[in-house]
Amino acid sequence: MATIGAFCVTLDKDQCINYRMPGKCATCAEICPYGVFSLNGDNEVAVQNYNTCVGCRLCAEFCPENAIRINPAESELVSRYPWTFGTIEEIHHKALTGTYMLRGFGTMGLTPHFDKIVVVPSQLASPAPKDKYREECHMEVVIGEETCERPIRLQYPFIFPAMSYGALSREAKLALAIAAATTGIMTNTGEGGVVEEEPYYANGFERPNRSRKTWPPGGYLAIQWSTGRWGVSADYVNAGDAVEIKIGQGAKPGMGGHLLGEKVTEDVARIRGIPVGSDALSPCRYYDVLAPEDLKKQVDFLRDVTNYEKPILMKLGPSRPYDDVKMAAEAGVDAISIDGLVGGTGCSPEVVTQGVGIPTIACIGPAVRALKDLGLHRKVKLFALGGIRGGLDAFKAMAMGADGVGFGTAAEIAMGCRGCMACHQGNCPYGITSQNPKMRERLDPEEIGQRLANFIKATAEEVKILAMLSGHGDIRELSEEDLRALDVDTAAITGLKLVGYERPLPWWENG
Amino acid sequence: MAHAPNVLDAKSRDLRGASTQVKAMLATDSVVVKNAAHLHGLCGGLKAGEITIDGDSGDYLAVLNDGAVVKVTGNAGKYVADNMTGGKVLVEGDADYGAAQYCYGGTVVIRGTAGDFTATMNKGATIIIGGDVGNDAATYMMAGDVIIVGNGGENLGNYLIRGNIYIRGDWASLGHNCAAGDVNAEDAQKLEALLKEYGIAADARSFRKVTPLSDKPFYSH
Repeated sequence: MATIGAFCVTLDKDQCINYRMPGKCATCAEICPYGVFSLNGDNEVAVQNYNTCVGCRLCAEFCPENAIRINPAESELVSRYPWTFGTIEEIHHKALTGTYMLRGFGTMGLTPHFDKIVVVPSQLASPAPKDKYREECHMEVVIGEETCERPIRLQYPFIFPAMSYGALSREAKLALAIAAATTGIMTNTGEGGVVEEEPYYANGFERPNRSRKTWPPGGYLAIQWSTGRWGVSADYVNAGDAVEIKIGQGAKPGMGGHLLGEKVTEDVARIRGIPVGSDALSPCRYYDVLAPEDLKKQVDFLRDVTNYEKPILMKLGPSRPYDDVKMAAEAGVDAISIDGLVGGTGCSPEVVTQGVGIPTIACIGPAVRALKDLGLHRKVKLFALGGIRGGLDAFKAMAMGADGVGFGTAAEIAMGCRGCMACHQGNCPYGITSQNPKMRERLDPEEIGQRLANFIKATAEEVKILAMLSGHGDIRELSEEDLRALDVDTAAITGLKLVGYERPLPWWENG
Repeated sequence: MAHAPNVLDAKSRDLRGASTQVKAMLATDSVVVKNAAHLHGLCGGLKAGEITIDGDSGDYLAVLNDGAVVKVTGNAGKYVADNMTGGKVLVEGDADYGAAQYCYGGTVVIRGTAGDFTATMNKGATIIIGGDVGNDAATYMMAGDVIIVGNGGENLGNYLIRGNIYIRGDWASLGHNCAAGDVNAEDAQKLEALLKEYGIAADARSFRKVTPLSDKPFYSH
């Protein structure tokens, strides 16, 4: 793991309760997912193996006496490259256990991302800037306007991408639904079946009879149709406002979802319709799709089963975005999400998360070109996912041609996550990716839903600022002209104009 | 008094047209659909009613079926009874690739042969194949019963983790995590009742039973 060995952990013995009174406190040893702290026979805490620290600072946060310090040791990481402590630790893990490393979260380390792109403001040569405080900016995104009887009208160009019940706790799923309702955006069931309250919570209602809107204006719920088909029935596909066909995801394209038996509790098993404790490993592909025309038939029957009312979406991993998006659009979907390399997960083999798939910024351009070549750009909506951290990334993705973006990892962080990357262990101390009742009771869906909604609203304001200062009163007007690449690499990958040079690199101009 | 069912000639209809018509007709009586081989995903997600496809069907017939009884007098296309959760699907002829995949409940009976990857990821349905079945049948089954009256192909029951496969004939090879044994009295009783119900002449005691070796075959834990 890229981050292992990048941190030094120290324990201040003057402040540590355990040092004074062994056995009185061992919070750090209990909470660390990686065994950095150890307890000896006398219940004394010691820093046993700081090489395994991933720098999440959970221990420091939970320490009652503020006795723990985590310091980056990045220079060590750099100077030892390629035999970093992380590499050495990984080899030891494999040699000791005979198993490969599994973890949650997305790609770590430097990969081409949005940071080497800047936003170009309006001055004289382009339409004058708009006034953020006194003028309006159109943010709505409509999915399925011409194809469905009940199109989706997102108030902001954002979605929560699929995160399954099972990977996430029931409380976390409900917090997402409440946030989607409060902000008028869309959440997604993920592939683990639908939590009973999710459909009406996402629409803004606290009770199933839908009598009074508790969380106006009300959002939407996409129902995921995936390769594992957990808990899928006719009622399930009709429970939400859209159906999303999952082809792949950024963190592990070409692999199915992983839910280890440890997290398949009675409730998860009931909703997924599988035996308690059984490993729910989704197949990597649809057993019921052999040829591209089968995909089209799936879209057709999903429309039929949902009475031609609901948009059909498709989610793709980062592979060959031009051809993949073209095939998805040709299958007749209403919106396509493309998830980049940085996209996160609850559980994936380390090698896959770290090294498989192409970066998010490299996915958007080809995806947009595919839609333009079919004459479907802005008709079939495109959502960029994978490492979108806030308004700046969102704006850049949309200026590159996406109609909206999704916040997965960022949403988890807004819920409280510190990025310990141990989602798969099922002991998330914030109750986000845990099925343990003790952890789950720490997450109040309404309070955390509000935090998520705050994050979405603040992010929307950021997008609005950026759109208006570059002269737009409608996010559909954003274009590549609003962006510049800061270095040759990014200009080469994205086709954006290079700063200073003020043109795309020659091979982009020459086709 | 038996009354004549509604008859729909689907020849010049698309899925939406035929499906809307079938649903309207079901409100009054059972439906017979003729010339439906070009329609894929017909009878999807129905909760009740009786539909007979006169002749061959297209792909994904009775996908997400949740209570309807769907009969095919000819052969079924690919992925018949896909993701079914209840009801019955009866195919008089053969079924193409991937019959009865991802099913949670209900019964699927194919009187002829079935193709590769039949009953993949079965999570609780009863699936009966009167003839032979192709390769990789009942892959990653998590619950339910798959009954094969004929022979099985390669990789039968690959990564079976729960549920039972009953097979009367031979198989080319067993998949990972499978063990073959004899049927016990309880199994025989269950089989006998099912075979009798669907008029299949076979001795329940002549079947063998394939069950999972371990219920956690992944990651060697």
